[in-house]
Amino acid sequence: MASSTASYRPRKKRKSAALFAGSNNSLIVDAGEGKSTPAFPLVSFLWGARAGVSQWLVLPLTLMAVGLFRWAVSLWGYSGFQVPPMHGDFEAQRHWMEITIHLPIYKWYTYDLQYWGLDYPPLTAYHSWLLGKIGSVFDPTWFALDGSRGLEDPLLKVFMRATVIVSEYLVYIPAIVTFLRRYTRMQAVPVWSASIALSAILLQPATLLIDHGHFQFNTVMLGLFVASLDAIMAGRMLWACIFFVGALGFKQMALYYAPVMFAFLLGVCFIPRFRPIRLVCISLVTIATFAVLLLPLLLGATGLEARRNITSTVEPPLLQVLPFALDKTSSLYATLFQITQIIHRIFPFSRGLFEDKVANAWCAIHTFYKLHIFESDFLKRLSLGATLASISIPCGIIFRHPRASILLPAFATVAWGFFLFSFQVHEKSVLLPLLPMTLLIAGDGGLNKDTRSWVGWANMLGSWTLYPLLKRDGLQVPYFVMTILWAYLLGLPPTSWQIYQHQKFSDETGTAAEPHLITKLIHTAFYLAMLAWHVLEAFVLPPPEKPDLWVVINVLIGAGGFGISYLWCLWRLIVQSQRMDTRKEEDRKKIQ
Amino acid sequence: MAELYPSLAQCAIVATAFKILLFPAYKSTDFEVHRNWLAITHSLPVKQWYYEKTSEWTLDYPPFFAAFEWVLSQLAQYADPAMLVVKNLEYDSWQTIYFQRATVIATELVLLYALNKFVNSVPQSSKHLAHAASLSILLSPGLLIIDHIHFQYNGFLYGILILSIVWARRQSTILYSGIAFAVLLCLKHIYLYLSLAYFVFLLRAYCLDPKSVFRPRIWNTIKLGVSVVTIFGLAFGPFAAWGQLFQLKERLFPFSRGLCHAYWAPNVWAMYSFMDRILIPLAPRLGIPVNYEALSSVTRGLVGDTSFAVLPEISKEYTFGLTLLFQLLPLIKLWRNPYPNTFIGALTLCGYASFLFGWHVHEKAVLLIIIPFSLIALKDRRYFSAFRPLAVAGHVSLFPLLFTAAEFPLKTVYTLFWLILFLFVFDRIAPVPERPRIFLVDRFSLLYITVSIPLIVYCSLIHQLIFGLERYQFLPLMFTSSYSALGVVGSWVGFMVVYFTA
Repeated sequence: MASSTASYRPRKKRKSAALFAGSNNSLIVDAGEGKSTPAFPLVSFLWGARAGVSQWLVLPLTLMAVGLFRWAVSLWGYSGFQVPPMHGDFEAQRHWMEITIHLPIYKWYTYDLQYWGLDYPPLTAYHSWLLGKIGSVFDPTWFALDGSRGLEDPLLKVFMRATVIVSEYLVYIPAIVTFLRRYTRMQAVPVWSASIALSAILLQPATLLIDHGHFQFNTVMLGLFVASLDAIMAGRMLWACIFFVGALGFKQMALYYAPVMFAFLLGVCFIPRFRPIRLVCISLVTIATFAVLLLPLLLGATGLEARRNITSTVEPPLLQVLPFALDKTSSLYATLFQITQIIHRIFPFSRGLFEDKVANAWCAIHTFYKLHIFESDFLKRLSLGATLASISIPCGIIFRHPRASILLPAFATVAWGFFLFSFQVHEKSVLLPLLPMTLLIAGDGGLNKDTRSWVGWANMLGSWTLYPLLKRDGLQVPYFVMTILWAYLLGLPPTSWQIYQHQKFSDETGTAAEPHLITKLIHTAFYLAMLAWHVLEAFVLPPPEKPDLWVVINVLIGAGGFGISYLWCLWRLIVQSQRMDTRKEEDRKKIQ
Repeated sequence: MAELYPSLAQCAIVATAFKILLFPAYKSTDFEVHRNWLAITHSLPVKQWYYEKTSEWTLDYPPFFAAFEWVLSQLAQYADPAMLVVKNLEYDSWQTIYFQRATVIATELVLLYALNKFVNSVPQSSKHLAHAASLSILLSPGLLIIDHIHFQYNGFLYGILILSIVWARRQSTILYSGIAFAVLLCLKHIYLYLSLAYFVFLLRAYCLDPKSVFRPRIWNTIKLGVSVVTIFGLAFGPFAAWGQLFQLKERLFPFSRGLCHAYWAPNVWAMYSFMDRILIPLAPRLGIPVNYEALSSVTRGLVGDTSFAVLPEISKEYTFGLTLLFQLLPLIKLWRNPYPNTFIGALTLCGYASFLFGWHVHEKAVLLIIIPFSLIALKDRRYFSAFRPLAVAGHVSLFPLLFTAAEFPLKTVYTLFWLILFLFVFDRIAPVPERPRIFLVDRFSLLYITVSIPLIVYCSLIHQLIFGLERYQFLPLMFTSSYSALGVVGSWVGFMVVYFTA
């Protein structure tokens, strides 16, 4: 073709329908007599959108529907409602709005730390400041300094709930939508399957219940993480760094994802060949983003007033261990003070190995073998060692194969490793491993029975371990409604056991992977245990000498299940990376 | 023929999940009204049901509804016996809320059953149309707002109405249709508005031979007569025996109320009031006398006598006469053509007439038009064109029922969701009409729908930003109801044309 000169670029062809044919992986069951039925209820709800319906219609409707469920959940109680004197996460977030809009910036991380002192990274502080400013337009008494503590005005509740949902729709939802669009295209997943996966992901019960029920802003951090993933898929590594630093700067919990991110970004600089410029760019952009994040706080600390104030404040422990002495009135001292104070607030190393009851390895071991007897330093080292051991294999694989397509199982594995073995884990942290694991259902074959059963099972288990927490907030009804609804939509137990039974699919291209027998046994055992636990918890009082018995059992079962989830994600990662190796091998042979 | 998805049951399951989540939402005084009725029917002898007046919300529904409340109260005592004490005014423990809200959801199963019957009663070729219409009724924002947030039992009552309409479609089941409607009347007397259409239809299609007016079918007449009299006897007989009928009449038909209800139902009288308001500043220049005493009445938005400052007063007789007139017009056609589709059209038009011209109409009564209309809206595109403005106006006019901040996103997003989904689906599947369409109706409805967006924005946001919460409160209400009235009247005119030319 002579016309294909350098200036002429043929218009990008849309991937033809033929390419997608047959990969509507096992959504349609062959019911015999030429009839086809949806494989699970969520497919029926999008049945009309199989062909010829614009995404301009399907997407807004999906977003409205999931938004309605979010808002309806938010009508219920929140953490710390009518629990003086400290209340809960709702009050903490409101309090941060209050202090950030009233206090000079150098006092943000030092003001009255006993009452919900700010202990989240700077982006949360700025976010709180913005929301506080907006809220004060409606009613300044909601955020009156000190005077508004423990306020429970119904309109304040509406405002706070709205901030969560608006933040989510500005960060998490656009990130998920664009990520899924790119990811499903990469994996050659048809648009219809992608819409189904999107609805399933956006109705994930654990995330919805924690953010809109219990009250937190996890979706902002998760959204920034997904935006960073999206940037990786698009090959824009520098944007990935910026978004990921944003996630870290919003909530330190994003550290669960950091090792894979680090291994990946390092990997793309070294494999297949060393690319020094890329390495320098990535490091510089990361450092610059951190600097920009901290800049307002540091500048705020160098003013005269600020420096005078800082000299009279208790030094953060990190600053005390500096080997050299500094002039306490200098700007350098003030800057270092601010940084070390923020780090000290964000990472509470002085607290115990775990808090409350959380379904991770330490809490589970502690039940049988008391861990108090060890030195705190030893426990810290033990926890560090175990975490490193659990994440080394996935990080190694990602460094060797820095491919975007195997990132999701790697993120899930590492986050499970952190959740199970790291220090100071909260039960809410289970959202972190659940997100990349749930995103797997958007991949190729993600909605087949095997993947769907595993992702569904992990999500059900995750929400179930949150039940004791949600019960304290008076969220039992939303918990049951949202988890059972999700299980129903995805065709999971307890609403249907069909996923573990044989079905004939209308497309017999081999994608209709049936779950393995071992999978069936494990899942059935866990589902039955969860159901039995709910019955026990509701109708039987624990023995008086063990008032926490039900919670402890919940934690033990949860820890076991999460361990299995870790292994499944790891196995998935290994299989996928091996498949990649063999494909590379074949390509090489072809060339020869 | 492929099966239809999502099925009614699947939608009902998801909708139920959503409705359960709405338990803690705002509830109006109707919640207390129904609690009070539970208490009255549970703790007092039947003789005193219609005399009890500890609460201002006295029992003002017909006897079958009271009996229905009695049945519920038998279950309620296991949820929380305190709600059954007549003196416990405004009692709303969470058990009470869970129980009462749950009964609304549970009794709505009647609607699900009726819709299922409706879909099954339709020939295979148009099953997908009936299925779409049924889904639109099942998920109706009207029912969601009125029943599951505001609090009433319409889902269950409209279920019976639809059941009755389905039975009216076959000659062999017309008797059941009559019985079901008689029961419905004894449950809630608002359905009297539709009774003329039933009367004409049953008389013409069941008691007389459809082919000839002069061949009465005596046996049918006796069957129908006996059943209807039995039902009314069961409902009102005991009260008649105790000589309480006059008291019942006083309770059921409180004619001391004003022309316009508190929230201005979007009917002709709302437009009339709106005209009156506009004329007040203009009247002195035009030399028309202004009645200044009336100035403060409509704006207050309280239940009471509305009086007009410039335009002539409207008496009950006028409203009654107009309603009757506009009910009789479609009934003439029904008399000549006593077939199910004409019957549903006539029912819809009776609903329109009473809603548009009636005395003291509640905005909730708009369901009386929307629900029968939904059943035939998909007959062809001409019907659908008339239905469209009604769907928008009818639901937007319900917004003032919920005025709390937390429910604002619920009512607007849910209604928008429903409108986008069903107007799109209906538009896709509605068949092409046999006769040419009326060009203007389509343009009108498109323009009309577009206007709703700035209107909602103004009423819910901009008005408060300009005037604050206190001043000119009536303005958004008046705009909403005048706008909605325009839509309802427009769709009424459009449907009249379709009905009479079909």
